[in-house]
Amino acid sequence: MKPPMHVAKENEVASIGLPRVPKQDEQTAVLKKLDDLRSSMRSLMVMLENCTKCGNCAKQCHSYLGTEDYHNFPAARADLMRRIYKRYFTWTGRTFGRFFGADDFDADTLSKWLTYFYQCNECRRCAKFCPFGIDTAEVTIAARHILSEIGIMPKFMQGIAVNMNKTGNNMGIPQPAIVDCAEFMEDEMREETGLDIKIPIDKPNSDILYIPSSADFFTNVDTMIGAAKLFHYLGVNWTIPSTVLEAANFGLLFNLNVMREHNQRLKAAATAVGAKLVIQGECGHGWRAAKAYTDGCSAPVSFEIVHILDYCDQHLGKLPLKKLPLRATLHDPCNYARAGEIVEQPRRIMRACVENFVEMTPNRDENFCCGGGSGILMDEMMEIRMKLGKKKAEQVIALGKLDYLAMPCSICKAQIPVVMKYYGVDDLMMGGVMDLVGKAMILGEA
Amino acid sequence: MSMVEINGQQIEIDEDGFIVDPAVWNEGLVSYFAKQEEVPELTEDHWKVINYLRQYFKQFGIAPMIRKLCKDTGFTLKEIYELFPSGPAKGACKLAGLPKPTGCV
Repeated sequence: MKPPMHVAKENEVASIGLPRVPKQDEQTAVLKKLDDLRSSMRSLMVMLENCTKCGNCAKQCHSYLGTEDYHNFPAARADLMRRIYKRYFTWTGRTFGRFFGADDFDADTLSKWLTYFYQCNECRRCAKFCPFGIDTAEVTIAARHILSEIGIMPKFMQGIAVNMNKTGNNMGIPQPAIVDCAEFMEDEMREETGLDIKIPIDKPNSDILYIPSSADFFTNVDTMIGAAKLFHYLGVNWTIPSTVLEAANFGLLFNLNVMREHNQRLKAAATAVGAKLVIQGECGHGWRAAKAYTDGCSAPVSFEIVHILDYCDQHLGKLPLKKLPLRATLHDPCNYARAGEIVEQPRRIMRACVENFVEMTPNRDENFCCGGGSGILMDEMMEIRMKLGKKKAEQVIALGKLDYLAMPCSICKAQIPVVMKYYGVDDLMMGGVMDLVGKAMILGEA
Repeated sequence: MSMVEINGQQIEIDEDGFIVDPAVWNEGLVSYFAKQEEVPELTEDHWKVINYLRQYFKQFGIAPMIRKLCKDTGFTLKEIYELFPSGPAKGACKLAGLPKPTGCV
């Protein structure tokens, strides 16, 4: 089976410290890693032990609904690992083999893992509807981790790890370019408002460390501008670290040791400027990584972590907002709604920023993923990505004429516009929630 | 990665068809990449964008923000897409010999 993405080559994986295990040693290495996870990742054992194949998850999974590929049915996807687990770690599987849902590790095992665990968006919608709460994302995270530990990963993930090591952000933006971008955005705000609104980079002795997505310094300028205007209006002492210009943490999506390193960078950056508050920008999985795993990766830490939408919501009543004449809806990033407790905050903000806020169906913790979740943004997977995005497109189209689609996550911002265009919608404005805050805030006249 | 021969020169390109080493780029290579990116004819406007990207990359080692590219060249994003159908990050960067922008883009 040929995986649908470019796979990183031996010299490439070695360059990020995850050398390829020789073919003949793969089985031993994979079983050893799986054995390690049995003790370090107890949640994985719950997911592998308990499935009854009731089939409930099939109709809840946008990946299966979009691709109609059997292995994208969550129970079948998890079975790719479950059957190996049973064969080598349970007495029933060892004794009765296939009759007890166990399979031998064979020449196709890992290419199937690579193919199908990279068609799971780790959105956790299956867990929401599973009577046992089985969360396939946990299995996907474990499988991708094991694969990368033996040197098997998409080129896309490897390339991002290279950029992260070199510059501290996924895009590979060097420090002088970060400063140049910040100055450009300051100029934009000056032209618009006549005010001197700063985007301070690496400012020592700052109370707040703001962590934007690096894409906010390339495509999603208005998200960054919205946050800068908010901080300006509140008069807080804040900065952005050039060493971690990245709310995303792709380690969560392919290698848990890489996730830990990223999180420790975050701690170092906050400690360096003496920040007591770290505010994460619009990024779904990065919020999950920062919120849920900072203690595990970097404890003890001397700062609080909040999300920009939570922070903005806390100050909403004070802001000089004038509602924009828009009919707008919100796409809930999966990691906010099902893993991050950012659900009502963006709604309150949007109702304060636009005249007509409408809900898509389903929404909140029942929302469908954009189809790009967990970093499935590879160009070479475009055909599959469009199938993964089908449910989202249907949800948006069902709302009729819209002016704005808010999608406060950089992966969603990269995926949804392509999906909407593919399904015939190309006249819709799309962006973040902070973009609307920036546009609705009255800060002086040019 | 693979090697392609363009104007008698062996050029290494990556899986997405981008030049691996931006230092080997020269103007003679652009028409080859233009064909790959469905740019039928290279006009003065194309060169304005390409030269801007080259200059920014030389100074900063990365592609400029899309809005800065538009502002400094005087083209709207729509016009950039008309010039380079796969967009500023993919088509324009490929013709200018920049690495493919990666991450959440």
